[in-house]
Amino acid sequence: MAIVEPGKRPGPRIEQSRVFSKKFARGKKSGYAGLMLTSLVDMFTIIVIFLLMNFSANGEVLYMSKDIKLPDAYHGAQLERAPVISVSGDAVTFDGRQVTSTDDLVKGDVLNVPELEDALRDERRRYETIHARDPEHPFRGLVNVQADRKIPFKVIKRIMFACNQSGFGNINFAALAKEGEGPRKVALK
Amino acid sequence: MAGAAAQPHTKSGKKALDAEINLVPFIDLLSCCISFLLITAVWTQIAGLQVASSGGPPEPQQKQEQTVDLKLLLTEKGYQLTMPGAAVEIPKVTSTGGGAAFDRRSLAEKLKTLKASLPDQSAITVQPEDAVAYDDLVSTVDICLGEQLRNVTVAPLN
Repeated sequence: MAIVEPGKRPGPRIEQSRVFSKKFARGKKSGYAGLMLTSLVDMFTIIVIFLLMNFSANGEVLYMSKDIKLPDAYHGAQLERAPVISVSGDAVTFDGRQVTSTDDLVKGDVLNVPELEDALRDERRRYETIHARDPEHPFRGLVNVQADRKIPFKVIKRIMFACNQSGFGNINFAALAKEGEGPRKVALK
Repeated sequence: MAGAAAQPHTKSGKKALDAEINLVPFIDLLSCCISFLLITAVWTQIAGLQVASSGGPPEPQQKQEQTVDLKLLLTEKGYQLTMPGAAVEIPKVTSTGGGAAFDRRSLAEKLKTLKASLPDQSAITVQPEDAVAYDDLVSTVDICLGEQLRNVTVAPLN
């Protein structure tokens, strides 16, 4: 009697069958498996199109902080690159550096903010030094103000005064750009 | 190199017409694009509302005819729209949260009416009280810009 490998063996009829004989085939299987790449390519293409539609050549203009919740705006223009004054509930920062605390601005009665004015003057001097031989980029006094939505105008007023004193007359209020007709938040009773 | 790999000869000896495109380089390219776009993606769109402050240099205006000195006061009672010889009060309304809020819709309607009667008017001075929140200030400036009052000046009320 012939020595055979243990395991299931088909009967003669099944061994002849075209359909069922494959189940018992003992030939060496190929190591390569064909992958269906078409759906993967479709998915990649959709992702690339979506990301390209959201692409912004300007990049991040503002430092987004979790302490600052910006208000919404429906008719804002695109922000230009400029020095950023951020006002959170705790601190006032200029280009990421803390210059004073918000409480100090709320308490004081005077308008001027010497620390911020000094920082702005330094920034102006730096810009004018860099662009001294570049008449195409004169100093425009552009500054972006980014404040939390609950910050009182008293603080904003003092910051605007400091900007004016330092020659930054073009103030941009930062807000979250929203699409649509306009604000409809207030419901009349 | 991407290309079409020809199918092997069929049993009948004829060359198959179907060609299989090598998708691997294409997938590589797409993967690189996705990585680059994901890294450089800006998820929050920030808008800028340009204003002039009261002490700043005045914006050059081409037309000065048929314009009035328009002021919008933001007080604890609500909006107050003033111009020489006239004043309109827009009181606060009860918001969905229960508190009093500025009536932005009425302000937009009033400004629209005003703009229709004074089409050359582009300047407005927004004067908030000290206690007015940044959110209300930005919303008000946004409404002014939406009604084509492009030269918005922000000045303190007191």
